[in-house]
Amino acid sequence: MASPENIVVIRDLTKRYSQGEIEVTALDRVSLEIATGEFLALMGPSGSGKSTLLHIIAGVDRPTSGECHVQGVDVARLNESQLADWRNQNIGFIFQTFNLIPVLTAAENVELPLLLTQLNRSQRRKQVAAALDLVGLSDRSHHLPRQLSGGQEQRVAIARALVTDPALIVADEPTGNLDSHSAQDVLTALQSLRRDAGKTIIMVTHDPKAAAFGTRQIHLEKGELS
Amino acid sequence: MTIPTFILKNALRNKRRAILSISSVAASLFLLVTLQVALRELTLPPESAGAELRVAVRNRISLTNPLPVRQRSLIEKIPGVAAITPFTWFGGKYKNEGGMTFAQFAIDPKALGTVFAEAKMDMTGYQTFVAKKDSCVIGKITADKYGLKVGDRFSLDSTVYPGSLTFEVAGIYSGTPDDRNMLFRQDYLDDSIGMPGYVGMWWLKVTSPEAMPGVIATVEKTFANSSAEVKAESERAFQLGFISMLGNIRMLVASISTVVVFTLVLVAASTMSMSIRERFRELAVLKALGFRRRELFAFILAESFGLSAAGAVLGIGTAYVLYTYGNISQMTHGILISFEVTPRIIGFAALVAALLGIISAIAPAVAVTRMSVVQGLKTLD
Ligand SMILES: Nc1ncnc2c1ncn2[C@@H]1O[C@H](COP(=O)(O)OP(=O)(O)O)[C@@H](O)[C@H]1O
Ligand SMILES: [Mg+2]
Repeated sequence: MASPENIVVIRDLTKRYSQGEIEVTALDRVSLEIATGEFLALMGPSGSGKSTLLHIIAGVDRPTSGECHVQGVDVARLNESQLADWRNQNIGFIFQTFNLIPVLTAAENVELPLLLTQLNRSQRRKQVAAALDLVGLSDRSHHLPRQLSGGQEQRVAIARALVTDPALIVADEPTGNLDSHSAQDVLTALQSLRRDAGKTIIMVTHDPKAAAFGTRQIHLEKGELS
Repeated sequence: MTIPTFILKNALRNKRRAILSISSVAASLFLLVTLQVALRELTLPPESAGAELRVAVRNRISLTNPLPVRQRSLIEKIPGVAAITPFTWFGGKYKNEGGMTFAQFAIDPKALGTVFAEAKMDMTGYQTFVAKKDSCVIGKITADKYGLKVGDRFSLDSTVYPGSLTFEVAGIYSGTPDDRNMLFRQDYLDDSIGMPGYVGMWWLKVTSPEAMPGVIATVEKTFANSSAEVKAESERAFQLGFISMLGNIRMLVASISTVVVFTLVLVAASTMSMSIRERFRELAVLKALGFRRRELFAFILAESFGLSAAGAVLGIGTAYVLYTYGNISQMTHGILISFEVTPRIIGFAALVAALLGIISAIAPAVAVTRMSVVQGLKTLD
């Protein structure tokens, strides 16, 4: 079913939240294939289920029904601790609010996911330096998050997402908290990740200008792809 | 960066809070150690060298009821009795000082060399004490405290007998566990303001530890059904009986300790909960990055344990240094002679700290492991 070029294969994915009597269908039988090396822009109005879909693909949430295969792995079948390892090795996360640890420097924030690997200290340092270099922040490695601009913080977050060399990078409204200039920097950085490092990127956004940086745009509307 | 540095940076991220919580653990453990040491000192008086050979004989009714002098010759005849002395509480007040700052007892002057042989004094002191009726000997601590020297004369108002007596210092003794008492002559008391024919109690010295049970039984039997029945017991038992009056102090100290520990647990647990709750979102991010539940659990436990341990080292350490190297008798104005922080007390306080570290980590750790990444990411900073 999954052609080797498709890194993500989603079939009839449904997610329902029940709050007492009321049942909310966040995703309604969504089917989607994402090719390796794509920069997919996932668009749609607020509440349309974008984040939910992204979370299921990234293995931090589970579908109510349907299947989600990432690199041939049925993510929903992994248990909590397998899922944690899987995320560490395969997924890079970028959040709207950056979510850097405030007491750690840029380099330490980037190093964080590597603490879970077998790499030794100098190997880690080398990889951190490379990741920071890729987002153009080598000179800021010893700065704390509060000493950086929003755009720089988000680029540090990008470096943290790519430092483990994951196949798939997911970003939930990565430019949502940035001015247009910083957004430009972040989007360019994501673009070069795809082009130069061959990463597959899924980016949630409701900004058409941001979506234009992607190689493909899809729209979610009330939990359904349109 | 390594995992330990990561944990350390997290623990110290709010420096003021870290310092406050370490200080509260330290202060509470200092208090706990102090209470435990005080309790031990109060309930376990140091045993003196001659104790295993000494027997106390007192009125069966109570310690305050006197005993007739005629008992002496009967006791002396009992096999196994090596020496005997009266021991009568004088209850004197020194120089209008409020309470009794040291105890005074009337004894047989020769008893210093027999019943209380562990009290060391120079030979002239003994000779003077035996020769001069109004002489007395004083423990080194009391002598030092009041600057009393051999040859000095002073008066004491008795709260037991009518009037006051003047004494001359014959010697200053040391070598008993608590060199504070003043000892003077029973015959001096009898011939002045005392109650001739009666003594407070008897202290005996037996010939060997093996002889003690027999002597105790015989002494009690000898005066059974007489007008002054007696209770005889070893020095250790006598002291413990004295201490049983301290039973409610033990209760009090135990309750205070419990409250201290309980309050400490509440404070530490709520501080830890608060500090983790503030970081819920970050912890969700760590989960998203691939950290497992058990790793987050370990981080929280290590942080909580580390703060408790720092507080423990500070609090227990301060108590240890203060009580081991400080001059306790000076600090307490002579009320306490020794104040020993035993390994057992240190162990107890350390155990309390360890449990504290674990207990205060439980609630936040459980909350964090239960939290889903999605849920955690939604929490506001
Ligand atoms: N934990 C939840 N409980 C109940 N409803 C939820 C929960 N999370 C999301 N939803 C609902 O699911 C729908 C999709 O949410 P989401 O994926 O966050 O939308 P988007 O990211 O497109 O704004 C919304 O209607 C939202 O209210
Ligand atoms: Mg969203």
